[in-house]
Amino acid sequence: MEENPNPVYKDKAYGQYRELSYSYGDAGQFEKTVGFHGEADRVILQQAWDLFKERIEDARQRVLSGKVSPVVFYMEKNLLDPLNLSMMAGISVWRVKWHFKPGVFKRLSEKTLKKYADAFNITIEQLKKIE
Amino acid sequence: METTKTLINYTHRQAGHCESGATSNLFKHNGLELSEPMAFGIGNGLYFSYIPFLKIQFAPMISFRNLPNTVFKRSAAYLGIDATVVKKIKEPKEAMEMLDRNLEMGIPTGCQVGVFQLTFFPPEYRMHYNMHNLVVFGKEGNMYHVSDTVMEHPQLITYDDLLRVRYAKGAFAPQGKMYWINHAIDKPIDLKPAIILGIKKTVNEMIGIPFPLVGVKGLRWMARDLKKWPKKHGNDKTSFYLGQILRMAEDFGTGGAGFRYIYGAFLKEAGELFDHHQELLEASDMMGKTANKWREFTYIGARNCKNRSKPEEDYGTLSEKLLEIAAGEEKVYQKLKKIKF
Repeated sequence: MEENPNPVYKDKAYGQYRELSYSYGDAGQFEKTVGFHGEADRVILQQAWDLFKERIEDARQRVLSGKVSPVVFYMEKNLLDPLNLSMMAGISVWRVKWHFKPGVFKRLSEKTLKKYADAFNITIEQLKKIE
Repeated sequence: METTKTLINYTHRQAGHCESGATSNLFKHNGLELSEPMAFGIGNGLYFSYIPFLKIQFAPMISFRNLPNTVFKRSAAYLGIDATVVKKIKEPKEAMEMLDRNLEMGIPTGCQVGVFQLTFFPPEYRMHYNMHNLVVFGKEGNMYHVSDTVMEHPQLITYDDLLRVRYAKGAFAPQGKMYWINHAIDKPIDLKPAIILGIKKTVNEMIGIPFPLVGVKGLRWMARDLKKWPKKHGNDKTSFYLGQILRMAEDFGTGGAGFRYIYGAFLKEAGELFDHHQELLEASDMMGKTANKWREFTYIGARNCKNRSKPEEDYGTLSEKLLEIAAGEEKVYQKLKKIKF
């Protein structure tokens, strides 16, 4: 996950990928066309990424002010929610939520930290502090 | 370190849907000319389910496609083709070794992967979606040649990356699932019985299942919920939820509304195969028109998403549009149900 897991929306990226789409004409024929993404696609993707970025920034602020543990930041950064994170790390939802407390997080064992680090695909040192 | 190179002469063709594209390409490689819509129709690619209590990316889960691997498994079964599906491999290393062995024997192999860490995918599309399919057809040292039918050209991916996406975790985890066709298909295969079976199964899945969140019933349920969202969650969240519907319908996992076009194309092809079967052709026309309505719905919805807090169109109108689509689709399935072959 070193290479930008939190991609910035670039209009340019759409220019590189063409996809195949089907359409139906008035004369009753189905057509295949290969083309770039349309306006509608961009709008809805932009909307999703706006929300994700907002959430990540919010989580960063809360971690920096010491309200929650870095797990929250990395969870948001990987676009996860507690349920999905628990599935990925193999830790129950209740425990995951318990680990959101900074005090609890500090006392976590290496084994549990390793589970989180593996789920986020980073090292334990990276997990302990956010950039 | 010496580099070993195995490259199977496999033709990559771009397709509208990842799995039916992979299926169609695999069949073509083994000598059966099966177009993408045909694979999609026979293998029951068409589906709808709405699961409001399960959240994916902070919005309700909506699926326009069947469970992973249905298309390949069913089309192989209905056509009577000898294929192998390995559902789950516990040890990731073993899964990769199996893949290597297959490549050495010259068998292009399909794999289920997660999208989030797929390196060649456009970054905007990398979300937690574990039902993507690609075909591995070559190995060069540490790099694998893969054919992802969403992409225009074949791609390269490293061993570690491939292992990671094949063992992506979360909902519908791939767990190293892989599939391939055992023998080249030399005898001619009659598509007609398979088409009949495929249509019957799809019709049953869309209108026959007595459960309110699946098929046309699920579509109606979603339409009714859409009307309630602004009151329940406020405009911003509704807009995001609507965005989720559209993301699922338009591009996330390639298609949704697009699937309706593919199905229409399948019905048309089937109709021509059955000596210009009038009813099938009519059904295909209706399906195409419904698909156009889906596209309209997406455009209106996207406009709504653009101005989040001040929606241009009332959500009631959108909901009615969805209900209209549901009615249109139901008519197609009712028609298909009555056809006698």
